[in-house]
Formats: sequence, C-alpha cells, structure tokens
Amino acid sequence: MRNNSVVNHMIACNQCDSLLPKPILSEGQDALCGCCGAMLFSKKKDAINRTIAVAIAGLVLFFPAALLPIIGISAAGLFNDASLIDCITILINSKNYVIAFAVFMFTLAIPSVRLITALYISSCIKFNRVKPSLLVFFRSYHLLDTWSMVHVFFMGVIVSMYKLSSLADMTIDGGLFSLVLLLVCSTLVSVTMDEHSIWEELEKSLEQ
Amino acid sequence: MSNKALAAGLGNCPQCHKLNVMHAEKQACSRCLTVFSTRKPKSLEYTLAWTIAALVMFIPANIYPMMVFYTLGKPDASTILEGIAIFIQMGMLPVAIIIFIASFVVPLSKIMGLFTLMYNAKRKTQLTLKQQDKLYHVVEFLGPWSMLDVFVVTVMAAVVNLGFLTSIEVASGITYFTLMVVFTIFAAESFDPRLLWDNHQKYHHRATKTNQEYNNKGEQQHGK
Repeated sequence: MRNNSVVNHMIACNQCDSLLPKPILSEGQDALCGCCGAMLFSKKKDAINRTIAVAIAGLVLFFPAALLPIIGISAAGLFNDASLIDCITILINSKNYVIAFAVFMFTLAIPSVRLITALYISSCIKFNRVKPSLLVFFRSYHLLDTWSMVHVFFMGVIVSMYKLSSLADMTIDGGLFSLVLLLVCSTLVSVTMDEHSIWEELEKSLEQ
Repeated sequence: MSNKALAAGLGNCPQCHKLNVMHAEKQACSRCLTVFSTRKPKSLEYTLAWTIAALVMFIPANIYPMMVFYTLGKPDASTILEGIAIFIQMGMLPVAIIIFIASFVVPLSKIMGLFTLMYNAKRKTQLTLKQQDKLYHVVEFLGPWSMLDVFVVTVMAAVVNLGFLTSIEVASGITYFTLMVVFTIFAAESFDPRLLWDNHQKYHHRATKTNQEYNNKGEQQHGK
C-alpha cells in the first residue's frame, strides 16, 4: 500500500528517467522535467469539448480533401487534374503497391483513425460511458502519432506546385483548401487533447 | 542527478506515462495494460538493425530512377541526383538546393545521426548531453519529413498526365526510398533516449564512491 501511494504521487521523466514528485497544475500550465527540461505533462483548458469540436470538423473535411481535385494543369488545350484518391489509384494501376499502400496509410487511414479515436474517447468521457475498450483505443492513438503525415503531404503538394509552375498553366482546386483545413484540424487535435488527464480519468472510472 | 526511477525499482509506462512498481523484467502497466520494461529491451540491437536496413535501401533508391518523364512519347528517366543536375542546368538553383537537401542530405544525415546516437549510448563521447538530446530530437522530428519526396513524385505523376504530350510515371527507385524512410522511422522508434542518460551517468559520476555503488546497482538490475 505504501508503494502504491508513491506510484500515484510521483512521475518519471520519459526522456531521462528522473523520478520527480507529481505537481498539481491549474489549467493552462505545463510541467517540465527539472533534470533535462522535457515536457512531462500539461493541463489544458476545456480539453474534452474542444477535442470533440475539432475532431468532428476534421472528419467532415476528410471527404472533400480526399475526393476533390487538389491541383490541375493545362497545356496545349489539354487539361488534367488529380485528387488524393486519384494519386493512390494511379499508383495502384502502375503496380507500385508499396508506395500506394504507404500513401494511403500515411495520408488517409492513420489520420482518420486518429481523429475517430479522439472523438470517440472524448465523447465517451463527456457522457460518462467509460468502458475498458477505451484503453485499447487510446493506446492506438499514442502509437499512431508518428505515422500521421498530412502535413508532409501538404508540403509535397506545395513543392510540386512550384515545380509544375514552370512546366504548364496550373489551377488550384477545392481539394487544396480542404487539405489545408484538414491539416489545421489534425494538428489542433494534438494540441487540444489532454492526454494526461484522459488517462487519469480512465483510471479513476475503471477502478470503480 | 542520481534520482532515477530505475534505481528505485520503478518503471515508467511508455504509452500512458504511469509510474509502475516493477515486479518483473516485463510486466503490464497497471493503468493501460501495455506490456513494457524499464528500458526498451534490446533497444540498440533493433536500432542498429533498422539503421543498417535503411542504409542498404539508400543505395537502390539512388541507383534506380525516381520517375520517368515522357515528352511526345520519348521517355526520360532520372534518379535523384540526375534530377538535381537537370535543375542546375536549367538554372533553377533554389529548387535544386531544396531537393538536394530534402531527398539526399536529410536521409543520409538521419542515418549518420542514428549511428552517432547508438555510439553515444554505448561509449564515452565528446558530445555534451544537451547536444545528444538535441540530436535525438532532430532525428525524431525528421522522420516523417523524409517522405516529402515520395509525396512530390506521387502528386506529379497523378497531375502530369496529358496523354501523348507529356506524362510522368513513377519508377522503381521511389519504392526503395519509401522503404528507407519507413526503416529509419522504425530505427528512431526503437531507440531509447534514456540510454543516453544512463551512459552519461556511468562515465561522468565514476569519481565519487556513492555514485559508483549506485552504478553497480543499476548494472546488476540491467543484467537480471
């Protein structure tokens, strides 16, 4: 029992493994490691409601971002444009399965799973319906963090626009705008989501 | 400095950051049920394996063409370096520099950075802890950004598709490039930054007797 209280009132830095007393934060404060300066955790304002709002917006934006054409070119009377889905189908048609799979996972599957997970967990906590399966969901959310690459894809679109501008006349379509907004939403979810208090909330609810 | 969770018999869950009393080498977290160890098991071995795999993939990624450019039915395949040479000849030096950094310098320096980190976690080095820490964060941050070139080629191939006039097709080099990027991300994921701090302590606190004792204790726990 003595050990148990130590465990609940201490925290270890994830980077340098220093053992520190767990501080009690008020909203908007961050806790940093005294040894190496890494972020331990932070308490965010109105995290649950904001996460739900941003995640819904992001999920809605997925459809225009994937289906509407991003950019198009025209030269000598010919015109062609492509959406994110077109990029993937062209890769599959040219038998480049590895890249098709990678592009699909990093730009569509993983970001959407992250948004769905964020929405599901936040709404379960909001409506007091915590179940053990949420642990699996939230673990997968942490695991997928590195693999969401909407921001890199957006940068890729910008670079190819720069390259294409010397080649032909270029048009910008709705897909690009949706992509920018989707990028904003998927970044905001990581900002608004209060991982530390969600874990504590889950622990508290599941113990009862 | 010597106040480490490992020495106190405690372990930090890598997923939910809950502090656990360690009963065994490997155990499930009391909060999120992830099975973990106090340090990632065989971290350096896995990192080394993934880094070597990435280095091997870097060779075909540079030998084979990234994309084939068809103008009036005439194919023109170019590798990463050839593509950069073409941009220099066309006088577009800024684009050439951006592409050279994004698709050649960054992947190579990431692989070099991983080797440096592994060396730092094992041997005594000239680098300060702050520099090592920075290097780890840079390597971790660069992970997804190396995919930039893959996405550029994908978008170009999809958009530039004007039939006989001009079209771009994806070539085999990009597959190896993708694999290389994925392997370096796996390498960075399997590296445990706490090893850098453990190793630093091992070399810099040898002088005092208490720390020596502490270190011996830590090593014994490692061995178990």
